[in-house]
This record gives sequence, structure tokens and C-alpha cells, in this order.
Amino acid sequence: MSNLIKRDLLLSFYSSANFFFTVSFFILILMLIPFAFGTQTEQLKVLFRGVVWIALALSIIITVDRIYNADYEDGNLDIIMQKNKTIEYLIISKYITHWFIYCLPLLVILPVLSFLFYLDYLETVQIFINLFIGSFGMVFIANFVSALTLGARRTIFLKAIIMIPLFVPFIIFGSDAGSWPILLALSMLSFVISIYVTAYGLRLYGE
Amino acid sequence: MNELKTENLSCKRGENIVLNNINFSIKSGETLVVKGRNGSGKTTLLRILSNFITSYEGKVLFNDVGISDDNLYNSKFNLIGQKNSLKENLSIKKNLELWDILFNEALNHAKLLEHNNLYHLINKDVSSLSDGQKKCISLHRLNYNKCDMWFLDEPFVFLDEVNTNLLIEKINQFNENMGTVILTSNINLPKKFHKEINI
Repeated sequence: MSNLIKRDLLLSFYSSANFFFTVSFFILILMLIPFAFGTQTEQLKVLFRGVVWIALALSIIITVDRIYNADYEDGNLDIIMQKNKTIEYLIISKYITHWFIYCLPLLVILPVLSFLFYLDYLETVQIFINLFIGSFGMVFIANFVSALTLGARRTIFLKAIIMIPLFVPFIIFGSDAGSWPILLALSMLSFVISIYVTAYGLRLYGE
Repeated sequence: MNELKTENLSCKRGENIVLNNINFSIKSGETLVVKGRNGSGKTTLLRILSNFITSYEGKVLFNDVGISDDNLYNSKFNLIGQKNSLKENLSIKKNLELWDILFNEALNHAKLLEHNNLYHLINKDVSSLSDGQKKCISLHRLNYNKCDMWFLDEPFVFLDEVNTNLLIEKINQFNENMGTVILTSNINLPKKFHKEINI
């Protein structure tokens, strides 16, 4: 398990453009708000709360191909599956690395961005907590979608169409400050479903 | 002395019957060549033997125990499939580092690659290599994992004469150390191996 985490982290470090691009993508989507809706302070604050979730959802969608598909296409998944007899450990290490590589950088940059949108300290903390908890649930969903669509190549649209409706509950509750317990419940629920469905997808892969 | 054998092995893929009543047995120190036309199920057979495909009829036994019941079976073989398991946008050196972590074993790559005259390419990106060179690097994985069996899927494809002979020599050496090799091939090999089946 720890070997796979180490290997995935090193892989993302070597192709460091990966997470650099995700962070840039996240920032750029948020930067579109003032261009589209104007620069009134109150309006920016309200929009930021919602659009930050859309930006997170889109950033996760563009990285979904890197979870299992890249390793499937070049054959590394064979080695990974053979070396990790307990498939659940394999899946959990993929959750950890995917969150660490693609969600953590977004959370780190979040305080700077919310400062630019005139949000105060307390509001930033609320958004941060919601995003922190919700991002796990979204990563779990992205993982099982990736595992279920392994054989289908270059199907980012299909994956997006499956994932976006599943992200809706996170976005509804996420933009509401103080609803972190509901997000926590949603994340835990998606963990339970995801680990089962991902394992099913990966077992099908062998077939 | 290990023995791997199949009893009445059959496998269906959708409506198609890919493998029909395959019976063979192979002992330590032997090499089995699986021959057959394109689409005859050679790769499927290797994936069944590697425990990736589990829905089949008949039995696959390793030392008289079903392979899916043996918890240690996965550490007993090394499978080199048709995909090279190389990241195209990274250099060979970085790919080898990633393998070292996955296999949990640090090899002396310089010495081993020099043997195939590949060491001078180590800083090149995989995407700039020829198919034959990629195959050689892919076969370099056989050095990991001191295991009992090698499953090789079309290992001679893209290899030139020198590298083909080097691989045959390597297989012979592995056989001498009581290793078992099962390889698929649909070309005529320059050397006769112990056993051959047609599927």
C-alpha cells in the first residue's frame, strides 16, 4: 500500500505539470467570475461560495483519467494488481494520492483566492471546512467512475456526464456555510459505495 | 519441484468460446510454448494463469492447489504482457525508478541494461524509442522478483536477432535454475523448447 502511494506521488512529481495545471485551471475558472458578473463586493462574495464548488468539480473531472486509466492503457495496472493482493488497500491508496495530488493544492490556494474576493477570515474558514470535507466525497466518486469505465478509452465526456449528477448534492450543501455535517455524511456514504463499486470495476478489468 | 497444470480448461468471452478443453502440465525447469492463430486465446490463457481472469470452467492447479485459493500464488510469477508498462512521456531512468518502487526492489540497472546494450539510452524519453527497444526495456522487468514462473506474452515480437538470442539464453538460464516459463508465440522460434501446445 505504501509503495503504491510512494510511486504515485513520485509519478506526479515527475510529470509535475499535472497538478500545476489543475491549480491553474481552478484559479482561472474563479477569475472568470468578475469578468462575467462584475466587481461588486457583495455579489462577488455570494458567487465565490458557489463557483468554488463548480471549479473543484471541474478540476476533479479533468484529472479522472489519471487515476486508473493511464496505468490501464500502458499496462502498469497489471503490475499494481499483481503486487496488491488486497484490492481494498490498492483502492484506499489511490484515494489518498488522488486527494493529496489534486485536491490539497486547491485547498492550499483557497485562502489567497478568498482574500481576493473580499471574504473575511470566518467566511474563508467555513468555505475551507466545507471544501475539505466535500472534496473527499468527490474524490471517492471520481475513483469509482474511473474504475468502472476502464475499458473505454478517451471518454472524458462520458465520465463527466456520469459524475456531474453525482456531484450535485455536494454542490447544493457545499455552498451553504455550516452544512459540513451533511457533507461529512455524504462523503462517508460515497466512501462506502465507492470502495465496493471500485473493487467491482477493477475485478472486471481482469476479465 | 513445482507443477502447474490445467484440467479441461475452457473459457467463454461473451458468446465466443475462446479456450476449449485445454490440458497441459508443466514442471520446474521446463518451458512451454503456446502456439495458435490470432484470436485463438493465447493471451486469455496467460491471463487465466496469472489470476486476472477468474471466470472459467475447469481447473488450474499449482502444486495441486487451485490458483485462486493460494494466497501466495501472486508472488510466484512474473507476467510480461503485450503492453510495455512504460510511461511514454518519462525517461527510461524515471520509469525504472517507478518500477523499483512498485516491485519493492532496487536493481543494478546499469549492469543489466549494459548487457542488452541499452544503457546509453537511459536518459531518453520512452516515446523516442523504437518498438524493439521498448520491448527490451519491458523484458527488463524479468530481473525483478526472484520468482518461480515467467509468463511471457509474445516476447519475441519486435526483437532483432541479437536480442532474440539473448532472451532465449536468459530463458535457458532460468530453466537451469529450475524456473518455469510459459510463452506464447505465433512465429517459428530458432530453438526448440521442452513442450509445445496448439490452441
